[in-house]
Amino acid sequence: MPENIILEMKEIEIKFPGVKALDKVDFTLRKGEVHSLLGENGAGKSTLIKCLTGVNRKDGGKILLNGQEINPTSPQQAVDLGISTVFQEINLCPNLTVAENIFIGRQPMKRGGIDWKTINKRANELMERFHLDIDVTRPLSFYSTAVQQMVSIARAVDIQAKILILDEPTSSLDDNEVRLLFEVMRQLKAEGMGIIFITHFLDQVYEISDRMTILRNGHLIGSYEIGQLNKVQLVTEMIGKDIDVIFNLKRADVKEDAAYMLEAEHIGVPGKVKDISVTLKEGELLGFAGLLGSGRTETAEMLFGAEKTAQGKIRKKGSDISLKTPHEAIMNRIAFCPEDRKTDGIIGDLSIRENIMLAVQARRGFMHPMSRAEQDKLADYYIKALGIATPDAEKKIGELSGGNQQKVILARWMATEPDVLILDEPTRGIDVGAKAEIQRLMLERCRDGVSVIFISSELDEIIRCSNRIVVMRDRQKVAEVDGATCTQQDILNIIAEGSAAENGKEASV
Amino acid sequence: MNKTSSKKQSLLSRLMNPKYIMVYATVAIFLIIYLFGAINYGDKGFLSLRTLIISMFTENAYYGISAVGMTMVLITGGIDLSVGAVSALTGMIIAYGVAIMNLPPMLCLLFALVIGVGLGLLMGAGIHYLNVPPFIMTLTGMFLTRGICSLMSRESIEINNELIDALAGFKIYIKWWNEDGEWAKIKPICYINFNFILFIVMIIIGTILLQRTRFGRNVYAIGGNEQSAKLMGLPVARTKILVYGFNGFCSVLAGFAYVLYVKSGWNLALQGGELEVITCAVIGGTLMTGGVGYMVGTLFGVLLKSAIPALITFNGNLLSWWGKIATGALLLLFIFIQRVVVVYSNRKKQE
Repeated sequence: MPENIILEMKEIEIKFPGVKALDKVDFTLRKGEVHSLLGENGAGKSTLIKCLTGVNRKDGGKILLNGQEINPTSPQQAVDLGISTVFQEINLCPNLTVAENIFIGRQPMKRGGIDWKTINKRANELMERFHLDIDVTRPLSFYSTAVQQMVSIARAVDIQAKILILDEPTSSLDDNEVRLLFEVMRQLKAEGMGIIFITHFLDQVYEISDRMTILRNGHLIGSYEIGQLNKVQLVTEMIGKDIDVIFNLKRADVKEDAAYMLEAEHIGVPGKVKDISVTLKEGELLGFAGLLGSGRTETAEMLFGAEKTAQGKIRKKGSDISLKTPHEAIMNRIAFCPEDRKTDGIIGDLSIRENIMLAVQARRGFMHPMSRAEQDKLADYYIKALGIATPDAEKKIGELSGGNQQKVILARWMATEPDVLILDEPTRGIDVGAKAEIQRLMLERCRDGVSVIFISSELDEIIRCSNRIVVMRDRQKVAEVDGATCTQQDILNIIAEGSAAENGKEASV
Repeated sequence: MNKTSSKKQSLLSRLMNPKYIMVYATVAIFLIIYLFGAINYGDKGFLSLRTLIISMFTENAYYGISAVGMTMVLITGGIDLSVGAVSALTGMIIAYGVAIMNLPPMLCLLFALVIGVGLGLLMGAGIHYLNVPPFIMTLTGMFLTRGICSLMSRESIEINNELIDALAGFKIYIKWWNEDGEWAKIKPICYINFNFILFIVMIIIGTILLQRTRFGRNVYAIGGNEQSAKLMGLPVARTKILVYGFNGFCSVLAGFAYVLYVKSGWNLALQGGELEVITCAVIGGTLMTGGVGYMVGTLFGVLLKSAIPALITFNGNLLSWWGKIATGALLLLFIFIQRVVVVYSNRKKQE
């Protein structure tokens, strides 16, 4: 049905410094279909969307909307063309009212001024359609993330778009809200809108989509009708062949008599993490599983002193230590690679050598500067040891690919010869090969007697590497399972059932 | 709590909207201070309309006019340090043009408007396109403008012009029925002048711009979250640049009001005035981090800020520096209230 095609993207290419984010990717969208865009983290889904909505400039290829070539250079242009997007992060203004967030930029006017009455009335109608019973004249910041997400969808829907892009819209919604959203999506579909749907939840893909397109590492793997692939085939396509490398990894063995490296008792920060206790043995790899925002990162930050604990005790090798600042943590030989390497980790304009030596220098104090020869030796050693792909140590880290940047950060902390290494999402946004490499390095550290805390959203890699796994949900630890015997489904069940169990508890109280 | 049946909201529940909380704080504190003055110094005339209107409005009108533009800049999350200097430059241009070049004052004002708005637009463009922090950009503008003032003359230039005198002397007396039942000027004599009217008109224009136009709403959106505003397809660049342009416009009018007040131009006039103006806006409930603020709040901010020196004058025993200390304390109080509001609403959301 070629006459039904509303959007055609042909041989799209996008290059970022050091990486090809998209390599000749084709994508077509028909009128009145829900088309899922699938791929692992870093596969290029968001990049493709950002190209379509004018956030990123493309380096090659063509976009045809209803057969006519378009080149949106700003979100505004994309909106004018009828392409409307709901991003994963809520892109609304918290200080404006709910109603205004829906209508800003295209407010109905009356007698030369903004017609507030109509705005509020129409916002109320929209909210009713979404079965949300809220006061649309209150500031948006007054409502929960889920409500805010629904409001941003309402905004996109009201634009009267031809194409609606939903980038992970369901990650902050509960089952009921997801059902509502799907209802609205079906309605829009029936009205002839083309919907691009991005999600990590495969069940939702099968529930709502008509077709799907799979990306891997910036390459197009293929487009399929929903009946053509079953879930297992889909996952295999998403992960790809490199799967073998991963299966060859073996988790580290913890000696029976291994001493406790770190013991945290009842630590917590009000509003962020509720009362949590964890232990970590020498040479052990402890995984932290849980959804985004479940308190994983905050717990890691407490163990590194970046988040001040309001209660509880932390012992290292049996003696109490104080962890009020990252500096104290570094002095106690605890290292932490933060979640977002772009903002918290790398210093893009400094060289690889300088980035590696940072933490070591911090440990020594500025009164004892490292000599250039020492720095060179350190940098060269780690470039070789971790297999960082670079001509020399003086290259700016910003010019490396994501995987190599991550290795440099790993090197930075490994150079401090830590006892405890905390890695928050070290494999996010890097390709499968580099992921396996990082995991291998992590496990090697364990064999050297370093204790590692590994936080990841990807359950398979947590299970593959961890000796024990702490499962977090709603800012607390809900379970601790053995890495060798548990399955992904077990952990998913814990995360899902945790909520059921807790609801039961609340009901019985 | 809001059932579908309450779609038509009562006036009360509309007024209870948490977004107005800062304005209410300003009005409440003003009333408390005013009542305090009325109770303690009522016999000396603090209660009389004359004091209220002349002392608080008329003599501070130029700060108020400038604060209209500043409020808008602060709502976008920016700041403008050049306003005092631009007002002074306006005085210099009018004084120089009228006294030395014999030009009509309105032509000089027009010229000053072109310069002031142009400089504002230029700074706005620099802030947006070059990504220079507003503080630095407008600091540059301030030094530049002050420098030009001193280039024109390093001494005060007196203005003797009929039109200026007429505008400065323009008074509307407030009348009421006196004891004899006649329609007459109330006693003590009380009037409003041109600057007062200009201030009120600017507050009204500011309110209409902010509340009734898309431009105004974009100003709020940018202050709320600039990145979001961009992704929602709002004209961020245009709005930000226009806001600084409008602030230049207000500064020039404020300078004109100051000229009417002192009838001269001086290169060092209104030094530090930008801080007074910012103070008026902030104690009027405008959030320094952007996104929140109302012109009505600023109106009361100006009143509140000028009520303090009035109180000290009436006391008679206090040094006028106590006014500065009290203003500082007020600012601190407002910043504290703002933090509490932010923290409280964050906590509420988490529940």
